[in-house]
Amino acid sequence: MTRLYVLEVPENEGFVEVAAADPVITVDKVGPYFRLSADDDIVIDRRATGARHAVWYSAVAGLENSVITQQDKNALRVQRR
Amino acid sequence: MTDELEIVPKADHRVMGVDHAAFPTFDPAGTVRFYRDVLRFPVVHSICAAGWGPDKHPDFIHFFFDIGNDDRIAFFYYFGLKPYGDQTAPGDSWARLDHDTPQFFTNSRHLAIHVVDEEDLLEYRKRLDDSEWPVEMQVMHETIESIYTHDPNGYMIEITRALRPVTPQEDLDAAITIDALIDIAEGEDPSMDKLLERKAQLIVERAEAWERAQQHELAPEPVLVP
Repeated sequence: MTRLYVLEVPENEGFVEVAAADPVITVDKVGPYFRLSADDDIVIDRRATGARHAVWYSAVAGLENSVITQQDKNALRVQRR
Repeated sequence: MTDELEIVPKADHRVMGVDHAAFPTFDPAGTVRFYRDVLRFPVVHSICAAGWGPDKHPDFIHFFFDIGNDDRIAFFYYFGLKPYGDQTAPGDSWARLDHDTPQFFTNSRHLAIHVVDEEDLLEYRKRLDDSEWPVEMQVMHETIESIYTHDPNGYMIEITRALRPVTPQEDLDAAITIDALIDIAEGEDPSMDKLLERKAQLIVERAEAWERAQQHELAPEPVLVP
């Protein structure tokens, strides 16, 4: 299971919407955090999120048994650790 | 007869912001032009002091500008003192760093002054752009927008406005971040990866209980129906 957390703030809305629209990603809530889970890699396209750079590079709040293997101007990729 | 006056205990967090932040200058004329004439920060205090003491302290002027909210930025100008260090190296009037010091590190120490809205941010941008010290960067961060320049002493000055108020969950996230940071910072090879792993553990431990407590706090008072 690949799993990451994103804080619920207005700037992260686009990020969470892109995740929710991806059929391989399950999005639920843990307190004020969104929890993104998937059996395989979680990949988020930066341009689709509409996130400004400062927002994009600080969107991930936590990693559960997972590791970031790509975080650049194109995409975020999180894989099972 | 008993005293009816209730004694209200003082708050734990009692400080009231910046009294003054002080910096040395070797260019008092430039400093006054920048803060008083360009930014139009009023001069609010100054001390002219003769040097004294066992280490032959030079005569000096200590002068203050109002940066709003009754807070102040202050400077020391020491008569006859020459700047320390290699003046071609990165740094400012207080210190020069090694030549290979990256810019992000040199600029990491700076003063950020708050304004309330975009109109005021752009007003200060205009004042700086019309001067010898134009704005070097205007940046939209996550929740703030800032302009930056360096004053005549090489000190980086930021003027910033909030794009929205900080939400309660951001305070929770800040507390979790800092607890995770101190957990990993004293361990081997601290890294963002280790921090985010530790944060996830703390989120699982605390976030739901925090939200329940928030909802309890925000619950409306029960209304009595006659």
